[in-house]
This record gives sequence, C-alpha cells and structure tokens, in this order.
Amino acid sequence: MIVIQKKSFNYAKELDIFSKKNKLSGAISSFLGKVRDFSNLQKIDAIFIEHYEKMTKFQLSRIIEEAKTKWDIDDIIIIHRFGRLKIGENIVLIAVASKHREESLRSVEFIINWLKIKATFWKKEIGSDSTKWVKQKESDTDKIKKYNTSF
Amino acid sequence: MKILYFANIRQEIGISEEDIIIENKISIFELIELLKKRGLKYKNVFSNVKNIKCSVNCIFSNFDTMIENKDEIAFFPPVTGG
Repeated sequence: MIVIQKKSFNYAKELDIFSKKNKLSGAISSFLGKVRDFSNLQKIDAIFIEHYEKMTKFQLSRIIEEAKTKWDIDDIIIIHRFGRLKIGENIVLIAVASKHREESLRSVEFIINWLKIKATFWKKEIGSDSTKWVKQKESDTDKIKKYNTSF
Repeated sequence: MKILYFANIRQEIGISEEDIIIENKISIFELIELLKKRGLKYKNVFSNVKNIKCSVNCIFSNFDTMIENKDEIAFFPPVTGG
C-alpha cells in the first residue's frame, strides 16, 4: 500500500495496524525517516516537501514490484508526507512483512535506497532568514549500484 | 502537450504547468530549445541541463526521447525525498 499524505502519522500505530493485518508473517522490518534540525552545518526551522503525485505513486509501485521479484514478501506499506514539516516530525515510513527476517530487512533497505533516487519528492530547507532546495547526495546514487536492477 | 515544472525549476520559471501544441514529434532536446525562446527565465533555467531530469508520462526519460502532443512532460531537479 502506498500513502502520500500531508498530515502526520503515528509510527507505532501504523506498525501495529500493519502487524495485525499480517498476523501470519514471521517478520516485520521498518524504516522511519524524520526531519533533522541541521543540514550541512546550517540550522533549519522546518522543511517543505513538494511532490509530483502521479509519478511518485507510479515509481513507488515499480520499486515495490521489483522488491517482490527479489524477495518472498507478504506485504509492504509506504507512507510519505508532503507540505511543511517541523523538526522531529515523521517524513516517511516503510514497513515490510515476510516469513523470515532476511527478506524484510533486505527489502526495506532496497526500497528506501531506490525511493531516494526515483520517488519524485523534493525537499526545501527553511531557515530563519533563508530557504534552500536540498541537493541529491552522491552517496545516495552510489547506494543503488549494488543492486542488479534498473527501472 | 502538458509541461510540468517542479522545485527550483518551478520557482525560477514562475509557473507550475503550461500547455503547448507542436506540429510534429520532437525530442526533449528540441522542446528545451523551443522553451528557451520563451524568455530570459526559461533561458536561464535551461542554459545548463546537467542538473535537470525529465519524465515523459511519469517515466524518467533521456533528452533524446521523442514526444508528441498527447504526452505529459515534467522537468525537475534530482529527487530528494525520504
């Protein structure tokens, strides 16, 4: 399931719902991305996330489908927020249910690594007297090189 | 065709989308050349395409991809979600 939303989400509550939905799965792994207060040594007050909704959903669907071809996965949920987010707020939740831990652990990493490269979200840092669009990190593009995958 | 702009590109051009009509199929490269003739803002944005990505109907595409009026084209910087 893919959810793109403006409102916040409760990490524990979402994982609990996901866990109950997948009660026969032996493993659930998750990743939670949050807003940090510093970026490149500059203090920020909040971030603004813009997105291209139609393409984001399409690209995330492709990433999920690709993950399912690589590992035996029971279920996946991705929640990603947009709009203005304050320091400490949740940005993204990825959870994967599978029979064994190896599949869920590996696929969560695969999904966040590809999301960083293919999902059409853009972050803008909002400081007290300036704003700045965040640039993609070279280390993020390096992380996908280990996968024998192309979209 | 519908053209969408996102993030700093939207901000610099000053609009989020526009429609243009072309007579024949053209490449993204050729579309960029057409857009650069629309004014200084476009010229500045597209003067260096090194940090510009594009999509055709929600699929990441190269600048030599051929496009037509029914297509939805988007220009944006490398993504930074997550």
